[in-house]
Amino acid sequence: MSMLGRLYRGENDIDFKKWWRRGLVFSAILIVISVLSLFTRGLNLGIDFEGGISWEIKAPGVSVGEARSALAGVGEGGAKIQQVGTDILRVQAPSESAAKSVEVSQTLADLAGGQISDVSVSTVGPSWGKEITKSAERALVFFLAAILLYLSIRLEWKMAVAAVLAMIHDVIVSVGVYSVFQLEVTPPTVIAFLTILGYSIYDTIVVFDKLKENQARPGLASRMTFTDLSSLSMNQVLLRSVNTSVVAIIPVISMLVVGAGILGAVTLEEFSIALLVGMISGAYSSIFVAAPIVVWLKEREPKNRALAARLASGRTGAVTGRAAARGDGASVVGSAADGAGAAASAAGSAAATGASSVPTMPASGVIPPRPRKKGKTR
Amino acid sequence: MATKKRVRRGLGALLFIVLVAVFALTYTIVSGNRPLLGLDLQGGVSLVLCPASPSDPTVCNKSSDPAVSEDTLDQAIKIIRSRVDSLGVAEPDISRQGTNVLVQIPGVKDQQRALDLVGQTAALEFRPVLAEYPVSAAVSDPSTDTSLDGASTTTSLGSTDTSQQGLGATGGLVEGESALGAQTPSTSAPSTTSPSTIVAPDPALTAADPNASNPAAPTASAVPELTPADQITPEATVVLPQYDLKTKQVIGIFQLGPVAVGGSAVESATAGLDQQGKWEIRPVFKSGADGIDKFNAAAAQCNPPSAPCPTGRIAVVLDNKVLTAPNIKVASFSRDQITISGNYTERDAKDIATALRYGALPVVLIPQQTEIVSATLGSDALHAGLVAGLVGFVLVGLYMIAFYRILGVLAMVKLLIEGSILWGLLVFLSASAGLALTLAGITGIIVSIGVSLDSNVVYYEHLKEDIRAGRTVRAAIDKSFASAWSTIVAADGASVIGATLLYFLTVGPVRGFALYLGIATVLDLITSYFYMRPVVRWATNSKRCVDHPGQFGLPVPQLEASKGSATGTAVRTPVSTGGGS
Repeated sequence: MSMLGRLYRGENDIDFKKWWRRGLVFSAILIVISVLSLFTRGLNLGIDFEGGISWEIKAPGVSVGEARSALAGVGEGGAKIQQVGTDILRVQAPSESAAKSVEVSQTLADLAGGQISDVSVSTVGPSWGKEITKSAERALVFFLAAILLYLSIRLEWKMAVAAVLAMIHDVIVSVGVYSVFQLEVTPPTVIAFLTILGYSIYDTIVVFDKLKENQARPGLASRMTFTDLSSLSMNQVLLRSVNTSVVAIIPVISMLVVGAGILGAVTLEEFSIALLVGMISGAYSSIFVAAPIVVWLKEREPKNRALAARLASGRTGAVTGRAAARGDGASVVGSAADGAGAAASAAGSAAATGASSVPTMPASGVIPPRPRKKGKTR
Repeated sequence: MATKKRVRRGLGALLFIVLVAVFALTYTIVSGNRPLLGLDLQGGVSLVLCPASPSDPTVCNKSSDPAVSEDTLDQAIKIIRSRVDSLGVAEPDISRQGTNVLVQIPGVKDQQRALDLVGQTAALEFRPVLAEYPVSAAVSDPSTDTSLDGASTTTSLGSTDTSQQGLGATGGLVEGESALGAQTPSTSAPSTTSPSTIVAPDPALTAADPNASNPAAPTASAVPELTPADQITPEATVVLPQYDLKTKQVIGIFQLGPVAVGGSAVESATAGLDQQGKWEIRPVFKSGADGIDKFNAAAAQCNPPSAPCPTGRIAVVLDNKVLTAPNIKVASFSRDQITISGNYTERDAKDIATALRYGALPVVLIPQQTEIVSATLGSDALHAGLVAGLVGFVLVGLYMIAFYRILGVLAMVKLLIEGSILWGLLVFLSASAGLALTLAGITGIIVSIGVSLDSNVVYYEHLKEDIRAGRTVRAAIDKSFASAWSTIVAADGASVIGATLLYFLTVGPVRGFALYLGIATVLDLITSYFYMRPVVRWATNSKRCVDHPGQFGLPVPQLEASKGSATGTAVRTPVSTGGGS
């Protein structure tokens, strides 16, 4: 049975403890790379942040070289000239060139065989970028504060802290992606990115909500450590997380591939890259950043420490995953050490059936059904 | 039967939401309204302007400066709106965002002119003329390009009516219209360069006329350098150019004294024909100390000419360019009996009147960002956005149906319902509030496909989980919804908070993204409760669902016998592999 098949049937029994460690290491590496890149390579800021003027025209068949020699005629041969999208010519120059805006437009229009009204012109003052940055920063701070408050009320403050830390992680990593690949940063991308962060927290909330639900079941919560309970909850909601991310990302990829790639809409490209980066990092961090942080925070609670100690002494080993959910005392795998036990159970039901020493049945569903409800509706 | 009743409960809501969607769709189609397209989709001009700092008029107002009052900005917006309205564009949007002014003029034909028109921050002022110099070929003017804006923009206004107001490039100020007849000929100055005359009703004043036409006196002296823009202050003595409104050639160089009267003293101005059929401009000053009194104080210095006003003329200066410099023919005017006459063409008169009326914004506004979008690129972007959205919709639909079968189809129907309502809302807001659909908005709508389906995924997965745990479908349906609903509300709530904050805290058309994402999220909450819940309950209440749960993407409920035994695996297998028999 493939991993996906088990996931589809809800039989997945992944040892998230192991993955969380890997995830945190991976995230730490990403953050280091991001910060290093930010300080060495910096960001490829669009003219909106530095001030300047930019012309765009649809000019099929006109090469950058042709454009440059034509523009040299009006003294703008030194401008930055790019081919963007499929057949759009983009010329960027510093603010001083604004005086020649009309001449450049006319030159470009002649080059492309069109009218001057076919040329898009964007002029940006030097303080505009600062203004955008300032309002984006302000929005981000307010947003993080609001989310912190909201989740503290809705769930609990430790989860809120974990969710916010995961979002900060998203911001850093995304800035890193823009820096490493030198993607152009424009105000629309900044705002699109921030907005999508609010939406990317969806996955985190799905996970935490389940965790909270499981936590409220004394029968379940008292039988395993918080770490195991979290791992169990992650398994339960994994397909949910995957699917919510997939259905959100498909349309964005369509924008990137169809809208920008095939049809050549430059703005769509800028937007969809920002959205994609935000969504992917949001989906990743909900599982690999937010969850371990909340586990770490919760395991430090005296109540959970006591629980862990009791379970460790009362049993010979750590119980992980869904095996524990069945409350089968005999299904103890390995020793207390995470390593062996985790590896065995991580292999999921394959391990369960393969390792003959384990007397449990394969993972079956999640939570023991309540007998009183059995067959009631028939 | 209890079950039946349970199923029926909520069908009312289902019916309701479907009716709303159908109504929204019908309304949209019947009304024939289409959503207003933002200028990034149909081409147009957009500007973001910031109020200038009082200490340095070339940079934006800093937080350390005293804030510009909302009234001032609103007044500036009013003035800009009237300028833009003169372009005859369908739906210009001029609004205040924080301390910025956002101007959007979609679909405007002459984009450069629109930009000039709004972009000119046009400080209107009256300065006494100290001397006029002839234009020599040697005169080089660094600010040539900008100077024309005021004039060219204003031309458009003239068409509305003959009662337009205006200042002439050349002309005389006349008080008392009746008197004009005789004096207007004071246009004695044959060339357009000649200064204007202020004509008073009293023929005696005609004596002033000669002054009008002779800038000759200073001719001999060297022409001074034009004052650089950063050295022009209200208190300074400055040298400014005058341009021909049409050809934009420099037609005069004036040395001017400190500002005598600010443009805010002018209440209105119109252009009209005098009794001789000549075009003249009739400004009306405000009454009181800040209006006509100030102007009269300046006039008194010029008639008779005195040291502060040796030429007896007062220049009307717009945006550091001399529009006209009429002779002052009387020492005192009444506020609504002033005319400026001269050799004006209709266009000149109307342009000058417009400049007088609208020229002076109460605050200097600096363009921070301007954008001209060509209609070609705009429609390409619209096309790409729509196609990408459609492709995304189809792909995501295939995924949902492959995964959830009938329940997946129901999820896509939910998307259609939301889409109809959203579209209706969009068209309604376009028509009533002038809210335009931008590319950012389209992106927001495309992303909202994911927002909506997420709720279905959360619910369906919850349902599957409960069924695997041993509940029957019917038992699971309500319980799962309760849990899923709480998750959906929590998650959508966070999304709405984010969208709302970003909408209010950011600037520019990009806000459309946050707006539509926010609206879509709220719609998702509504349809999840009123559509998804009853429709899933209804759909799963069929015999088909019991017999073939795989067709609904659901696992076979565990039977009592299979529970806890190894056979459980066997029972589930066919479901999982084939998605049902």
